[in-house]
Amino acid sequence: MSQPIKFSSLLLLLSSSAAFAGTTSVDRVYDPYVQPLEREIEFRNVLEHDPFGGNDVWKTRFGYGQSLSERLFLEFYVVGEKEQGEAIEEDSYEIELKWQLTEQGEYSSDWGLLFEFEDELGQDVLEAAVTLIGLKEYNRFIFTGNLSAIIEWGGDINDEFETAFAGQSRYRLSQSFEPGLELYQSETTSAFGPVFSGVVKLGGRKRLTWETGILFPLDDETANQTYKINFDFEF
Amino acid sequence: MHSVRKFCNQRFLGLTKLFVTLIVCMSASFTFAAKPEFELRIKDHLFYPSELHVPANVKIKLLVLNEDSTPEEFESYELNREKVILGNSKSVIFIGPLAPGIYPFFGEFNITTAQGVIIAE
Repeated sequence: MSQPIKFSSLLLLLSSSAAFAGTTSVDRVYDPYVQPLEREIEFRNVLEHDPFGGNDVWKTRFGYGQSLSERLFLEFYVVGEKEQGEAIEEDSYEIELKWQLTEQGEYSSDWGLLFEFEDELGQDVLEAAVTLIGLKEYNRFIFTGNLSAIIEWGGDINDEFETAFAGQSRYRLSQSFEPGLELYQSETTSAFGPVFSGVVKLGGRKRLTWETGILFPLDDETANQTYKINFDFEF
Repeated sequence: MHSVRKFCNQRFLGLTKLFVTLIVCMSASFTFAAKPEFELRIKDHLFYPSELHVPANVKIKLLVLNEDSTPEEFESYELNREKVILGNSKSVIFIGPLAPGIYPFFGEFNITTAQGVIIAE
């Protein structure tokens, strides 16, 4: 009888593979699940802060999404960016399609795919990505890995092929408060730090999921401190 | 330009190998052993049975039949499961392996009436 390969081995494989990889800054670690009839409004913020006087960069993302079926979820985002001392500018729009591949708990780990397309406004820069999402539940711990293959093309950018990895370990302490750790590894970002999340139930189908965290650099290219705060309103 | 393409091709080859490895790992991690099956019905915004006894330390397959015309969400933080079951339809939820104990669940859309427990023993 063959011994099933452990999810931790997969995460190690993903982490090591990301060492040769490309660009994704701190954002969010996706789970592979989709619920039918799901609709949500999402508001994500990331602040890259340099305490030694460098430029702070604030990225904000506003999205609307809804499930198309029991296994497919479509979301549309408008992305804005603001540098220190400047007004916020509409930066790009993005479309995501999440595909839940396996039923939660059916196998030893759960899997999904995420397809993304991004168009930068005012520039001839396009980006497409496919992300393999893996999740392993171990007692009260949840381990999630996102491995992305990304291509960028257009008249204002050198065509590129990159990969990136984002991983999260989370402890299911209570529904309203779950501590965790996140790791981001790409060509421009190598960061690690604590994150906290929770759910506030608002009655019926309505709920607010919040997530915040601070990521610290693992190399000289990443911002000294990266703060993230995300809100996800389901209705 | 040729060197860029060569570089991209090498990356693509590496990534392809990685994905193939992942698929193999995924396949290897799939266990197809038969799981004990249990049935849970939703009718008039109530769960039947409201107390379900299941074996501890094994994965179980829960078939949830929603006989109401409106959707319901099976939810349990203790079981780490959330699943919307559309009206007049059925859905499968895989649970466990559970340590012996009592695990409450409820219907998110009718929380005052749709409540139950799974007892793993």
